[in-house]
Amino acid sequence: MKVGFFIGCNTAFNRPDLEQAVRFSLPHLGVEIDDLEGQSCCPSWGTMPSVDLAGWSAVSARNLSLAEEKELDIVTVCGSCYGSLAETRHSLQKDPELKEKVNGILKELGREYRGTADIYQSVGYLYKIVGLDKIGPSLKYNLAGLKVALQPGCHTLWPSKIYVDREEDSFHPHILQDACRALGADIVNYSRLTDCCGMGGMRSADMERSFNLLGVKLRSIKSEADPDLIVTGCSSCLIQIDTAQAPLNKDGRINFRIPVLHYMQLLALCQGAEPEKVAGLAKTGLSGVINKIRGDASV
Amino acid sequence: MTNESAEILVFDISAGEPGFVAEIKELGGREILECIQCGKCASVCPMALAGFPVFNKKLFHAIVLRGREMLLEDSSIWACQSCNRCTEICPKDVRPFEIILAMRRVAVREYAVPALATDGLKSLYDVGHAVYLKESGNTRKKVGLPEKPPSTISYPEALKELQAILRKTALADIGLIPMGGSGVADSCEV
Repeated sequence: MKVGFFIGCNTAFNRPDLEQAVRFSLPHLGVEIDDLEGQSCCPSWGTMPSVDLAGWSAVSARNLSLAEEKELDIVTVCGSCYGSLAETRHSLQKDPELKEKVNGILKELGREYRGTADIYQSVGYLYKIVGLDKIGPSLKYNLAGLKVALQPGCHTLWPSKIYVDREEDSFHPHILQDACRALGADIVNYSRLTDCCGMGGMRSADMERSFNLLGVKLRSIKSEADPDLIVTGCSSCLIQIDTAQAPLNKDGRINFRIPVLHYMQLLALCQGAEPEKVAGLAKTGLSGVINKIRGDASV
Repeated sequence: MTNESAEILVFDISAGEPGFVAEIKELGGREILECIQCGKCASVCPMALAGFPVFNKKLFHAIVLRGREMLLEDSSIWACQSCNRCTEICPKDVRPFEIILAMRRVAVREYAVPALATDGLKSLYDVGHAVYLKESGNTRKKVGLPEKPPSTISYPEALKELQAILRKTALADIGLIPMGGSGVADSCEV
């Protein structure tokens, strides 16, 4: 089994430990990674999608064509990449005029968009394609006794009809939960499960309001579930929840810290990856959780 | 531009710009007139929850009232998370997110754009990534990866290809960013 890894800007430059986690965990499940050499930004929402549909689709279609020419599907750990690529794939499918326009642009560069590559978010890919039953045998450590709260991430859920690995009921998602249970984790519930983390356009537009939104969510997580760890399916949620806790603590909007990992990092750790490599860039301390997972004090 | 003021939500309907609805439809908000103002989109909108004055439902109302100028003075649309909860829940299949994108496209054509959006576009053109951290080579090495990811950063031909595509899009016609040779590589976090 082989898949194209769409890394995404934030993972490549901000949290390459997550990139390293994918490069560790997928091969441990028998999935070979193709780098889709020459991939660019998806493009993210505040760029080409905010300028023009054809331009957005052309940049996306170029990325998609990198997988098509190798007859591969695409997997990404970033909600924005997943959403942006899947949206354009959907638009190009239903709008032949748009497809013609985009291919007109690509043709001059010797490229063509055909529509043969599917887009998966990493946890959805494990769930639908690899199979969660493959996870257990790949593990070195089990999460028994670890309390985990979930943050699926907006883009992994909506708009559900454009996704090939969609949830049956996107307002009551279960894929990330099932994937965490496959690691042996104890899932703790809270009422604001599907609330937004506040990253993305909102954080760029107004950091205060963005942090406030996250503060509401974090207080719900702490008071209702009090987990050892938050696990997310999206690299943007990872960055927001990890980096915003210090400023939220500083001005008293929260008075606790909860470590956070992307699911693929947690999977890699359970498969025995070196913590420094697959989770070494976290700002919110992970050593307690990692010690619990590995049963030692190596970090 | 501001998203602080509540007064701007009151505006003179007689000052509405004819043709605005058609412009929104042309730029992607095709179903705007199907909106019945039921408010389901607002009930799930992170922008509404976080306190931005012009969230989805209000935006659509203002568009139908042709409040183009008023909307150009408010930056709420740029705080949209693109989360598509609204698209999922809309009972009239208005595809609300596409209307928000259409309003952003109107704003882009008027150069009424927050600096970070321009920076993101510039960074996309210059290095192929909207988010780019100049010092990331060290971070990547620290976790055992090559300094550069296998993207346009590592493949100059791929970057040239991307730039050629971008020069054939509306971005070039609008002239929002300089689109000459590459080489600018400042960090950009948007």
